Amino acid sequence: MPYLTHLFVYIATYIILAIGLNLSIGFTGLLNLGHVAFLGIGAYTSALLTLAGVPFPLAFLAAGIFAALFAPLLMYLTKNVRGDYLALSTLGFGLVAHAVFLNWISLTHGPLGIPGIPRPDIFGFVVSSRIEFFLFTVTIAGIVLFIIWLLTSSRYGTLLGAIRDDELAVAMLGKNVMRLKIQSLAIAAFLAGIAGSLSAHYITYIDPTAYDIPEIIFIVSVVIVGGLASLRGTVVATILLVLLPEALRFVDLPSSVLGPSRQLLYAVFLLLILLYRPRGLFGTVELE
Amino acid sequence: MVFSQLIANGLIAGSIYALVAVGFSLIYSTNRFMHFAHGNIVAVGAYGLWYGFTRLGLPFVVSVLFAVAVALVSGWGTYRFIYLPLKRRGASSSILLIAGLALMFFFENLILLIFGSSVKTLNYFPTVRGLTILGATVTPRQIGIVVISLFFLLVLWFVMRYTKMGITIRAVAGHAELARIGGVNAERIQELSFIVGSAIAGIAGVLVALEQNSTPFMGTALIIKGFTGAVVGGITSLPGAVLGSYLVGLVENFGAWFLPSGYKDAIAFGVLVLFLLLRPAGILGVTKGVRE
Repeated sequence: MPYLTHLFVYIATYIILAIGLNLSIGFTGLLNLGHVAFLGIGAYTSALLTLAGVPFPLAFLAAGIFAALFAPLLMYLTKNVRGDYLALSTLGFGLVAHAVFLNWISLTHGPLGIPGIPRPDIFGFVVSSRIEFFLFTVTIAGIVLFIIWLLTSSRYGTLLGAIRDDELAVAMLGKNVMRLKIQSLAIAAFLAGIAGSLSAHYITYIDPTAYDIPEIIFIVSVVIVGGLASLRGTVVATILLVLLPEALRFVDLPSSVLGPSRQLLYAVFLLLILLYRPRGLFGTVELE
Repeated sequence: MVFSQLIANGLIAGSIYALVAVGFSLIYSTNRFMHFAHGNIVAVGAYGLWYGFTRLGLPFVVSVLFAVAVALVSGWGTYRFIYLPLKRRGASSSILLIAGLALMFFFENLILLIFGSSVKTLNYFPTVRGLTILGATVTPRQIGIVVISLFFLLVLWFVMRYTKMGITIRAVAGHAELARIGGVNAERIQELSFIVGSAIAGIAGVLVALEQNSTPFMGTALIIKGFTGAVVGGITSLPGAVLGSYLVGLVENFGAWFLPSGYKDAIAFGVLVLFLLLRPAGILGVTKGVRE
């Protein structure tokens, strides 16, 4: 049971992260493969701020806001490219961010990581036990889901969908497409940033390996498996993909085999979905 | 002299990147999607050589052929079993790109499962003292790598330029629909470029295995250099891919002069982003409006 609570803390954090990515890829049509960079930026921001004595609620918001500040930068850098090239450039952004986490030793301690990150202290109430953390992350995930649901079912959400389907038509209606894309990416980055903060304060330790290619593939898998532009799909897929490899635990594999088998399972699962169910579990559109 | 040494290192690295990049570029130009797992095909070649030579005890030349064959079959397999079915049901290039990422992950972890995470060293050529050319120290093995790489690049250039097969490939790359109207079986040519590209990846794998240790993660690092070289040079242009790869090799070695070595992979990406920003068509690419 404690283990299940632990898994659901992960699931709640990943839902926040994946909802953001689905907002980019599914709702707005930006194939962003650098989403994990925002997660890392949020985690490091929150960890470093709280260790410097900043109260958790402030550090938590700062993690989201600071991550969101990188959205205009990324959008500006990639303004001339679309499709495959956008995917490539955003992947580049992710890898450069990872390289910075790894090499800016004086700030991030490089591969050694940052230990001893304090548990969230919300105006005197410390979220410390597993069950408290479970309730805390699930509440935040619920709030995020509700807000994003409101957003995507509003006129604004329809506008984002229109960018995905026909960017030129939206521009011809006099809408500022670039600004809408930046806003959408900034919201996604904010969500990734707070997800980063949550996971950093839960595990109490961060290092650069959590913000590398395997994490990118996992989170992209969640969005594709769940289906583009489907909040329900993302939630179901997150639960499924976090719990799926747990089945491997019953086979009793040595840990050196367990890691790669898990990743292999994700790769095969993603390929099967792409081949046999291209719209994912609950998807409404297909990636163009 | 540091300067000439950096140039030499850049050219050696560039020779390997160029082989990776031309295969990637060949596949991209006819198929119009990014084959992300191409670097892992290089890794399969490198492990093939190591396995054939040290485990199966094959003679060196046979091991090389074995390595190239394994790489060829793996690359061909990705096309036959994954990309082709996806293309047949009309998947977009973004879907194919994500399938490529999944394949990249698949091969990386498969190698990790079969061979473990320890580095594999091939001690075929004894390490001898390097020669000093214009102030740079290079080993005969490194000269061999540059020469062999240039040889295969020239062969490829010749084939693409003068043979019927090369001309057909270029026709499909230029305009698949027109080539089809002209009676070319475009799908066959697309498959053929996967076969040829993967064989070249196998050769690159052999050269990498000779020069450095093989690790399960080498494919990812190589594809980053490979597609950066290809994109910087102008992705549908093979000479451009070669030029871009040497540029990447040189820039990352000069970059390592004043940045920590951990930034080496990031430098390649910095170059890529710079090019996408300033000259999206690459050095020798043709600008056709915005790149789709």
